Amino acid sequence: MNRRKFLTFLGSAGVVSALGSAATPSPAKAGHVFPYYPDSYGVLHDTTRCVGCRRCEEACNIVNDLPKPAKPFDDLSVCNTKRRTSATAWTVVNKYEVNGKPVFRKLQCFHCEDPACASACFAKCFHKEPDGSVGYDGSQCVGCRYCMIACPFYVPGFEYNLAWDPLVKKCTFCKPRLDKGQIPGCIEACPMEALTFGRRTDLIKVAHARINENPGKYLDYVYGERDAGGTAWMVLAPANPKECVPPDNPVLAGPQMKQLGLDTHLGNQPMGELTYGALGAVPLIVAFWPVLFGGAYAMTKRKEAIHKAELETTERKAKEDVAAAVDAAIRKIQETEGEGAADRARKAMAEALKARETANKHGEGA
Amino acid sequence: MRNRTKLLLLAVIALVGAASLLFREPEGIQAAKGMEQTESGAPAAMVLFPVSEKPNPRAVGMKPVVFNHKIHEGKVQECESCHHTGDPVSCTTCHTVEGKAEGKFVTLERAMHATNLRASKDGKKHESCVSCHQKIYSQRQECAGCHNIVTPRHNDAWCAVCHTDIPTMTKEQLQDGIANNLLPKDNAALADAAIAAKAPVSYVNHKRARYKVTIDTLAKTYEPNVFNHQRHIVSLADKIKQDPLAQAFHASPEIYCQTCHHHTPATTHPSKCVSCHTQTIDKQNPGRPVLKAAYHLQCMGCHDGMNVKRPRNTDCTACHKLRTAKQEASK
Repeated sequence: MNRRKFLTFLGSAGVVSALGSAATPSPAKAGHVFPYYPDSYGVLHDTTRCVGCRRCEEACNIVNDLPKPAKPFDDLSVCNTKRRTSATAWTVVNKYEVNGKPVFRKLQCFHCEDPACASACFAKCFHKEPDGSVGYDGSQCVGCRYCMIACPFYVPGFEYNLAWDPLVKKCTFCKPRLDKGQIPGCIEACPMEALTFGRRTDLIKVAHARINENPGKYLDYVYGERDAGGTAWMVLAPANPKECVPPDNPVLAGPQMKQLGLDTHLGNQPMGELTYGALGAVPLIVAFWPVLFGGAYAMTKRKEAIHKAELETTERKAKEDVAAAVDAAIRKIQETEGEGAADRARKAMAEALKARETANKHGEGA
Repeated sequence: MRNRTKLLLLAVIALVGAASLLFREPEGIQAAKGMEQTESGAPAAMVLFPVSEKPNPRAVGMKPVVFNHKIHEGKVQECESCHHTGDPVSCTTCHTVEGKAEGKFVTLERAMHATNLRASKDGKKHESCVSCHQKIYSQRQECAGCHNIVTPRHNDAWCAVCHTDIPTMTKEQLQDGIANNLLPKDNAALADAAIAAKAPVSYVNHKRARYKVTIDTLAKTYEPNVFNHQRHIVSLADKIKQDPLAQAFHASPEIYCQTCHHHTPATTHPSKCVSCHTQTIDKQNPGRPVLKAAYHLQCMGCHDGMNVKRPRNTDCTACHKLRTAKQEASK
């Protein structure tokens, strides 16, 4: 390959990559980075109903065959600490102080409409399923834990205790149970129906109906309807008896939600949109850069080899020329001055050449 | 003193107005003979008509409300609690069915029923009839239990508590009332008659209700719960009987059945919980709580509202004992 050919190749590769990025919709412009499933399931968590009995935690532990925790599930004192979900506890119920009254909230994967974990994972382990769950397939997981950093709710847990093949673990929305036509274990176990299972679109209506039918009971804000681009699991919070908060206002509902440990500052833009542009370029770089730099390297190598070969031929030619000239000179001596003189001349010539060669070698070596 | 004549004229008008008020009012009070006199001098009771600036010959809309001014006067701190402008005029002076500029276009309906009231610029929080009563039933412990699970509904039973029939009222009087032309003495006479005609409610005899109810439909992990049905009814009945306000508003004889047996018509034989609440999600009515949740929401909702300390909501075995392995095997 010569210089021209290489440049042509480089140019065409550039055009192809540009076309490729133009053909796939730009994530910043599209509403959803992930496909939107209108019939997907969701769960409405009504914190005004939750009594903090931890039945959901127990059911989650049983249906998912998780190891038994150190403290039994009927020990309700653990709710007082702000626990986080982990690889062995996919859901936890914490107690919060809201307007001076205790309110319990269940924490688990929110199953975002546009999961940040999935957009951060370069091994493509996370995916949004049509049933609404955010699934995880650990077969390609490299254990980078980018998903844990990306998650705005600090949900994924990592199997730190495993030396070999530790994986990320989180709530699966009881995907195996959903596939069998059963509802998730925690929801079935809830004695207060603080968790309502249904299609996400219906649940949004149910949530607003509850707010409207019970004036003064709920904060007029459905957490997860739009937060972080929308989540499958949504939360209803109790109202602030002292202050009337206008509906659907994340700024004014913020202080109340904060008491419940929920952040309304996540914005309604999908988390993935923030990272997908940069991370989307990773496969392109991974695929293209070895070719680019490999090619450049090969070109330099080849150039060097050609140069060396050329140098060698000129050297050989020069040597041959000298040898031929010496031969001709000796033959002439042989004809004019006889055999003895020719021998002497040959000897002297060989010695001179040898001396020169060694001198040259020394010169090169020096 | 260019304004002297103007000021004098105003003073004269004010005097005449005050005099007319002074001389008229005794007539109104005399008319309401049956009722005791009020401290403020206002009529003891009055009919609040749906005053409208438009003619309403068929009297379409809500029925008038008989308002017992005397009782309310004694319950509130100051006249301004209701007469928020400081001027003790009738509500319908500014708030009509359609709304008027004087009342900032707040309609009569909103003025009486609004519950999402915010404090005005001067920092005073106004109350409507409903918002004030709501405050009472959500703050008093004896009321807050039921009213934590019973939310006001827009139906005949709820509206008719205030918007009652006035037996002695003629069609002409109703038309006069709507047009705000009814004489105060006639108005007071109507209200007086309506209050006199109101018979005390004879609530259903709690002894006819089931004594104990065994809730065993779902008994699996736990033993059935034996619910003391009659004791709960007696408790509700006592709370209503002790309070005239509660009596006035709980006007139906079967009212306390409807706390738990909600959404059923007022009857002594209401539907059971299982009649509507299925054990698994009802596909026809997915928004309806399942049976287990329905029980817990009703029981705990009421207990929470009344601030009942025991049993705690998370103390499962206080209401239903844990079923042992032996009992499970024998089943």
